Amino acid sequence: MMNRRNFLLAGAGLALASALPARAAQASAHVVIIGGGVGGATAAKYLKLANPALKVTIIEANRTYIRPYGSSEVLTGHARMEDLAVSYDALHHRYGVDFLFDTVTGFDPDRKQVRTAGRQTLAYDQLIVSPGIRLDYAAIPGYSEQIAATRAPSGWIPGPQTALLAKQLQTMRAGGTFVIVAPPVPYRCPPGPYERAALMTEWMRRHNPTGKVLILDPKDGFVTDATMQLGWHRLYGYDIPADYLKDMPGDVNNTGRPAPIAWVRAKDGGTPRKLDARTLTVHTDGGPVKADVLNVIPPMRAGKLAFDLGLVNETGWCPVERRTFASSVHKDVYVIGDASIADAMPKSGFSANTQAKVTAQAIVDTLAGRAPAEPVWGNTCYALAGSDYGLFVADVFRLKDGKIAQVSGKRYLPLNASPTQIRLGAAYQQAWLKTFTEDCFA
Amino acid sequence: MGALMKPMLGAVLIAVAVALLTPAQAAGPATQPAPQPGGAAMAHTCAGCHGTQGRLGTVEFVPLAGLPEGEFMGAMRDFRSGKRAATLMGHVARGFSDDELKAMARYFASVRPGEDMRSRKP
Repeated sequence: MMNRRNFLLAGAGLALASALPARAAQASAHVVIIGGGVGGATAAKYLKLANPALKVTIIEANRTYIRPYGSSEVLTGHARMEDLAVSYDALHHRYGVDFLFDTVTGFDPDRKQVRTAGRQTLAYDQLIVSPGIRLDYAAIPGYSEQIAATRAPSGWIPGPQTALLAKQLQTMRAGGTFVIVAPPVPYRCPPGPYERAALMTEWMRRHNPTGKVLILDPKDGFVTDATMQLGWHRLYGYDIPADYLKDMPGDVNNTGRPAPIAWVRAKDGGTPRKLDARTLTVHTDGGPVKADVLNVIPPMRAGKLAFDLGLVNETGWCPVERRTFASSVHKDVYVIGDASIADAMPKSGFSANTQAKVTAQAIVDTLAGRAPAEPVWGNTCYALAGSDYGLFVADVFRLKDGKIAQVSGKRYLPLNASPTQIRLGAAYQQAWLKTFTEDCFA
Repeated sequence: MGALMKPMLGAVLIAVAVALLTPAQAAGPATQPAPQPGGAAMAHTCAGCHGTQGRLGTVEFVPLAGLPEGEFMGAMRDFRSGKRAATLMGHVARGFSDDELKAMARYFASVRPGEDMRSRKP
């Protein structure tokens, strides 16, 4: 088991040596949350809703949250970078959540303390860690964070790379090819790379009509694959591969003509092996592919913080006791969101949001001496095949034999969905961006 | 030294035993089953679209706060059976039993839409 306590404590040990008075009753209990993304913010809000007397502190590096969900809309100009910004004001002023804008540099799980770069020492009764993801740029030979920042952006954690990618796409030569390298599982936002491809195909029809979108994929399938490809077929004349044709509705008619969007799966040679950033060439199992704009979504691991705190195992993700998401490594520490190992639950904002609620209630129950209830989690990911073509994956999850299992059966938009259902799906996707942000942050 | 160690060791063992009996541990799969999820806890899975505690300010989704129990139950049963057309609510409804839907219905019916959400426990 990986454990970096010593690394972290080397600098912090002396400062933490003076024992603080033992914390007592629930009323004065202090829950510290590291990470103010969807998981951390939702946990803070629901802790305060469940017990306003709790002291809840979020330690977060950035004063404003930049939401990743919906951030591909920046590429098409449907949203601006500033539209992604979410304020922490409501959590602080409305719910009384304390914020420390700082980074964690020391962790003593035995004394139950964390220390920050700003030399603050916080004692906790319970600690929630919601560290999100880290992009493993170096996993693809020839790719690096530096190349992502300048030449071939990833834009999977929204920020300057998103803005750079938008600029590259808007200035791509006429008839150029936008190549998206999709990641292996597990990764954040399973339908996301394919929605991005769809939205850019739609955008090019208006702004670069001879341009093309090409997805290179180390996988043979993806979440929402049948429904997403049906949307591509209807909107962009994409030919559906033979193995997906079986249950397709009667209007499907492959033409054999080239389409502006293509998906090269692993079985068709799509697996990326190496990158040449200078020529924007991806070397795949099927041969070299030259891009005009190259978007690489690399493999992912738990956020750096999870590694620093020694919460990961050999998979690069954080093992947890599934009922409460209590860390399998340290006592009185919980890991929620994308960084946790959650079996059937996808790494999505919605998953992190419902994990946060279950964990918040489990902490309130534990502090009150009650046994936490049987957990129920949910997930809904809306995705677009076009601005007016919505689809989704929807799940309810429960604990089965110590693992998280999907219990609601079918997950996707039915292939025979009506035009109204499809249009409503797109309207709901846009509404969800707002309602979901409110449930987490306001 | 040896005589002193024994009581200390005893105290340590008691501490360990107490640590092993915290509620989180007691709820583990090896011991008695955990309580069934309450209506509020299950209702929280709806909040991403329908608003915290079902208090929704936008028009695209149905606000659930204050919804009469019968309306909630009828809608969810019809979603589940497919009688009522939906985008994804049929999928969601199939994740819950009748008893669970009733518990959620009771919760949403008990939320007063105009009231400040901080004034009630979720």
